[in-house]
Amino acid sequence: MTTRRSQASLALVVGQNRRGTGDSDLLQGLVAGEVWAISETWHRFAPMVVMMAERCLGSRSEAEDICQEVFHRVLRKVKTLRDPSCLRSFIYSFAVRVVRNALRRRKLLNWLSFEDPESLVDMHWRTLDFESRDLLRRFHILLDRLGPRDRLVFTLRRMESMTVEEIASYLRISESTVKRSMTHATDRLSHWMHADPCLSGLVDGFRSTQ
Amino acid sequence: MTTSSDEPKVPGALAALTELGRDRVKRPTPMELDHGLNLLFARVAAGRSRRRGLVRWSLVGAMAVLSTLVILRVKSVAIKASSVSVPALAYHIDGGTVLDGGYLRESGHAGMNLRFSEGTAFEFMPGTRGRLRAVSPDGARVAIDNGRVSFSVTPSSERHWFVEAGPFVVTVKGTVFLVSWDPSSERFELSLRQGSVVVSGPVAGGGQSLLAGQRLVVNLSRGETLITEDGLEQAVVEPVSTPAASNLTPAAPQPSMAQATPARLPPSTAHAPSAAGATEGGERRWVQALASGHWDRILEEVERTGVDGVLNGASSEELFALADAARYRRRVDLARAALLAERRRFPNSPRAVDAIFLLGRVEESRDGGAVRAVALFDEYLARAPAGGYAAEALGRKMILTKQSGGVAEARSIAEEYLKRFPKGSYVGSARALLRVP
Repeated sequence: MTTRRSQASLALVVGQNRRGTGDSDLLQGLVAGEVWAISETWHRFAPMVVMMAERCLGSRSEAEDICQEVFHRVLRKVKTLRDPSCLRSFIYSFAVRVVRNALRRRKLLNWLSFEDPESLVDMHWRTLDFESRDLLRRFHILLDRLGPRDRLVFTLRRMESMTVEEIASYLRISESTVKRSMTHATDRLSHWMHADPCLSGLVDGFRSTQ
Repeated sequence: MTTSSDEPKVPGALAALTELGRDRVKRPTPMELDHGLNLLFARVAAGRSRRRGLVRWSLVGAMAVLSTLVILRVKSVAIKASSVSVPALAYHIDGGTVLDGGYLRESGHAGMNLRFSEGTAFEFMPGTRGRLRAVSPDGARVAIDNGRVSFSVTPSSERHWFVEAGPFVVTVKGTVFLVSWDPSSERFELSLRQGSVVVSGPVAGGGQSLLAGQRLVVNLSRGETLITEDGLEQAVVEPVSTPAASNLTPAAPQPSMAQATPARLPPSTAHAPSAAGATEGGERRWVQALASGHWDRILEEVERTGVDGVLNGASSEELFALADAARYRRRVDLARAALLAERRRFPNSPRAVDAIFLLGRVEESRDGGAVRAVALFDEYLARAPAGGYAAEALGRKMILTKQSGGVAEARSIAEEYLKRFPKGSYVGSARALLRVP
């Protein structure tokens, strides 16, 4: 029989409620490496990053990995941030670039692979019925056919509701390039959907039931 | 979202699909966030320790600093310990040991007993795998990877106990209950003997309170949540669905596939739409009806004109439309009949291959149809190894084989699945199967 005294982790213990802390204090805490500041930043911005990455990549587990990478980079580079009011955009810009890298990496791996990848695998599928899963899987197969930039622009604009200016800023491309990408992605997706009457029919069916 | 004037107009179907993809994504739960934060801290700490190691080797005086830190740490812990009002929890284990990371390792084959100093006891049944995720003065968090655990928690307003089993979390105050989780079949079961618990996770409504005497069974693969009481099945069988998902399902009540009443096929009295009116747009009409979600219209028309006539006279397009409509309305027998007709009458069409997989799904939902379903999935995989349903077919075959022939038989399928579809939706189940000794 072994007896052990617990070694309670102190990592998640926050001494006081910091939910009302302003970005300025939060930034100071992050620069100083304060545990409460990291915890508060995580709870404030991680959901945003995870949801954005999941919408872009179609995978919850991949989105969680992306989120870890984003915050690790943010913590390393936070000292370069001067304006506390830009903390949100600072994190978002890291997130967008990490997602873009993931999409590029995925495209490259697809190109090198002999088999088509399995698309959209773990978006909490277990809560969807078979037909809905089939529908969304088909949609993400279409998204996989887009180039990384077109896909990211389309997703940020249509699913994340970002403005053209924001997308251009995060991706460091011109606004006209964003608009061109958006047009290109929309045209191609529409064309592919039109060529797949089963998919468009299913979508129309679901729309009519809502 | 504002749309600028020079932005391309998004067609309705694409907009709906985009909206669906957007609304499907759920905010991470507090538990997921805490877990992610712990990982982040661990990662940051690992980076820091590497840097600290460099400094230690390069600077002679670093040892003095570390010693000071240790002294301060000891002092800090001593101060905190003296100020804590709730006594710390101590525990001991019979029949096993705790390894790094909280993994509970069974010493023999008689299960494990985990007893806490304040009286709470967890009994791990033989072969059960789990982890002691955290122990604090406020309680503990334990995770069940696979198997059954009986819990007897001493009531206390100061302590909180959490049990994780797959995607489910049981929040406990003081109670006696039994939890089992089988990752390969994605089946969760909780039997409550005393007290009350709250189960959160993919159960209907997002959370489920249970009272003494109730039993909750959630079968994720079938999409069923079942609550029974005192041995009687009083509660409902309801589909596991999120609000977003429920928006997608037809508005009419839908019994689960497993419970669907077999469709009564009326005798054939008339000819099929195509036999009489292929040139009159019958085929297009059904496709349009399917696309518009008017599945009942198709089914009514089939019953009016006669099922046999439709099955023998309808075009490939019509048969598939009929099969889809019947599947969406859970008319299992009718869907099966339409798909069989598709195979029999159009054996060389591309749809006939898809029909094999869909037939497998239909067979799976019929009593005693598992063997036929596996055979159909095999046939589909042989004819379309890279087909759109290949991953799904192999995954379902793995689950069915495990249910009928046990883990040993399913293991080779799990290995094949991981090799062929490393990102497939059954990866978790395949890995869980391979972990079973």
